Amino acid sequence: MKLIRQNIKRIATVVSIVLLSLIVYGAYSISTQGQRWFASSSNKYMRKSKINVTAGNILDRNNILLAATNIDRKRVYSSDPELRKAMVHTVGDDANNTAYGAEAYMANYLYGFDESYPERLVQALKGSKRRGKDIKLSLNSSISKKAYSLFPKDKSGAIVIMNYKTGEILTLQSHPSFDPMNLTQSDKDNPLKPFWNRTTMWVSAPGSVFKIITLASALKNIPDAQSRMFECDGALELTHTTITDASNAIHNAINLKKALAVSCNITFAQVALEVGDTKLQKTASDFGFGDHFLFSDLIVEDSAYPLNNRSEKELAWTGTGQSSLKTTPLHMAMVASAIANKGIMMEPKILLEVSNEFGKSSYFFKPKIYKKAISKQDAETISLYMTEAVRNGTASSAGVSGIKIAGKTGSSQIDGQANANAWFIGYIDDDRYPFAICVAIENAGSGGSVAAPIAGKLFKFMTGR
Amino acid sequence: MKSSEQNSSSRLLTVTIVVFLFSAFFLLTIKEFSIFSISMTFFVPAIFFVSTVFLPRIFSADRLMLSIVNFLCALGVLILYRMSPKQGLNQAINYGIGLIAMLFFIYFVRLMQRKKPVIILLIAVSAILMVLPLIFGTERNGARAWVTLFGLGFQPSELVKVLMLIIEAYFLSKRKIFSAALYAGFCMLVLMLQKDLGTALIYYGVILVMVYVATRNYLYMGLGFVGAVFGSVIGYKMFSHVKRRVAIWINPWIDYEGAGYQIVQSLIAIVNGGVWGTGLGLGNSYVIPAHTTDFIFSIIINEFGMIFGLCILFMYILLFLRGINIALRSNSRFNAILALGSSVLIALQTFIIIGGNIKMIPLTGVTLPFISYGGSSLLSSMCIMGIIQGVASINDTQVQEDKELAQLQGDLL
Repeated sequence: MKLIRQNIKRIATVVSIVLLSLIVYGAYSISTQGQRWFASSSNKYMRKSKINVTAGNILDRNNILLAATNIDRKRVYSSDPELRKAMVHTVGDDANNTAYGAEAYMANYLYGFDESYPERLVQALKGSKRRGKDIKLSLNSSISKKAYSLFPKDKSGAIVIMNYKTGEILTLQSHPSFDPMNLTQSDKDNPLKPFWNRTTMWVSAPGSVFKIITLASALKNIPDAQSRMFECDGALELTHTTITDASNAIHNAINLKKALAVSCNITFAQVALEVGDTKLQKTASDFGFGDHFLFSDLIVEDSAYPLNNRSEKELAWTGTGQSSLKTTPLHMAMVASAIANKGIMMEPKILLEVSNEFGKSSYFFKPKIYKKAISKQDAETISLYMTEAVRNGTASSAGVSGIKIAGKTGSSQIDGQANANAWFIGYIDDDRYPFAICVAIENAGSGGSVAAPIAGKLFKFMTGR
Repeated sequence: MKSSEQNSSSRLLTVTIVVFLFSAFFLLTIKEFSIFSISMTFFVPAIFFVSTVFLPRIFSADRLMLSIVNFLCALGVLILYRMSPKQGLNQAINYGIGLIAMLFFIYFVRLMQRKKPVIILLIAVSAILMVLPLIFGTERNGARAWVTLFGLGFQPSELVKVLMLIIEAYFLSKRKIFSAALYAGFCMLVLMLQKDLGTALIYYGVILVMVYVATRNYLYMGLGFVGAVFGSVIGYKMFSHVKRRVAIWINPWIDYEGAGYQIVQSLIAIVNGGVWGTGLGLGNSYVIPAHTTDFIFSIIINEFGMIFGLCILFMYILLFLRGINIALRSNSRFNAILALGSSVLIALQTFIIIGGNIKMIPLTGVTLPFISYGGSSLLSSMCIMGIIQGVASINDTQVQEDKELAQLQGDLL
């Protein structure tokens, strides 16, 4: 009997822990994902409750009105149609075509679902109709409009600008866009899918901008990486594939700095093969590839480092940013930010403040470190190389005279597409303008000729030159 | 001194629950007045009161345990009544039948102390019940576990649970491991054939725990785990609905309007409820299919809030710990193993279904004990409570007898 009692006690402990784990798991998943579930388009309860509440306003960082509820209780957006189009994917729309705009994802504030019972009771006693809270977003209207006007009208893609020190998003726009107050049939029929938010949902290979991560892996894993000379004779013969450079350039003996500036595929394929798949994947995961992104303010598709069929061929192409790498424009803006911010990647945020109709605030933005991607030293080295790419390399058209700009272009070849996807990521290396950018244009040509000039004009605009 | 304190606190608990039930039903009555609703308003708190206060006068029972069980049952009736008055009434009747079954099992367990159970008979009855669905059963949700006899649908595996506990406790207390394993194997085989994997999981877990307690033999445990892994792999490969459920569990959002609909709506119902709930009768949780059975816990959180849900979970934990306490106090191997197995069964079942509701584990269609809609399920849970209460009352009698004996010896000296 004594043994049995002892056994019973052990079982009691184990079973109690199992039951308590329900609470731990429940609390964890509700706190990390509850808002996602709540904002889901299949939340029928929210749709029903919206009828009884007047939604609050949405403002940009300079208090420019982006969305409000008019006297007829209809949602109205900024009076400027250009601005509406530039903002719609982030702000959202009443019909929820954009799925996860602030209108839907922050509905708990806008419709006052976050109010406590005493607050609701007071409102009920006053007899006033319930009104949700106002939210201020980190978006900047003038920069957004400028970016919108620079994007080629007949193309699809995305522009992301964020503050690399704090993670605040200044613009998050997807093209082509649509006007939430003037929805046309051609928007619905457009094969380029204007409702789709490409900044956070479009995953594809980033092309050569990924070389920044290959470079980071080299700096970490190859002791003499900075002084080593690589050999580029125009073609790297591997089993089942030959790696060549754009327009079959031959660079002969070349160091990593120069290789990044001219975006030499052959060098970076060699680097990838030398560090190996495991270490390259490790570096990519330090930058967030393979993470399950659970940001508090944004829903973002996960980026993936390819894990299957890792042959020599696949690894070499991954090193150059091709193969089945998957990432979003927002994530690549975060990668640029991490380099700019001395290796520290900030969590992207769009919510600055939540306040009620009487101006009482219940939430204030606080910067949050997402992860430490690389060492400060390596970040500074990469920064130097990226600056070189703008000064004397493929990213030269992103340069602005008199200000230090770092950048990297990419042109990713997608099967079945006439032109490459044009990419540019970069930032202003200046404490007064701590802004990082990602421009990605689908089926448009090379990053250096299509994406970098847009970034250059935006840098000029942001620095007031 | 201690018992009077316990009495006054349990009286307070009883009164609180009666007030809660009365006001809740009253609220629903205001919303939709009818003779039926007003009679439920008085009837359900009354049945709770009578069973909590007067039952212990007939037999010595664990009052706290009885209060919790009665509360959970009454809560089930309330929630079901709010969803569909007809189901609420049915559940109230099930609850009444369950109370009688509980009483029966208290006496049955007491009886077994003097007359050894006719184990062959129990095995025969359970075997017949188990095989019934295979011969003339109907398939629901991918499992062929239901039988309709004389116009009444029921799930034999639920009722066999109770017999299984007694049979296994008997074999294990006699150290007849082989017989225990043989019977367990038979149950598992039949459940697998019925494709009722949720129930199979519960049977398996409970029997494994009982074997551990009786023997603490790590070889058996090891074999048990290997068997479990083997069984899960076989189940996963063989049954398409298991594969589907695992896929839904990993990411229900891929197909949130189709296969993942239930679980997605369950999660949404939980966050819609928030900390304090939407309020009784104000939620819209009826959008979840199977809201009265599998997902009743999400519904409770939806309308009463997370704090309330947490309290319910703590009640189950308390119930489990009371059962453990009773097992520890009992004087025979048989009673200890029986009370332990019964407590673990309720706890495991609770874990499996709540875990499924919050997407911690894949959803298996088992019921939330005492609360979910369903005659068979409520009946078997009440029978299991009867078993634990039976052991508790034997413990009390023995303590009483020991006292008297000690007093007698004292008098003699």
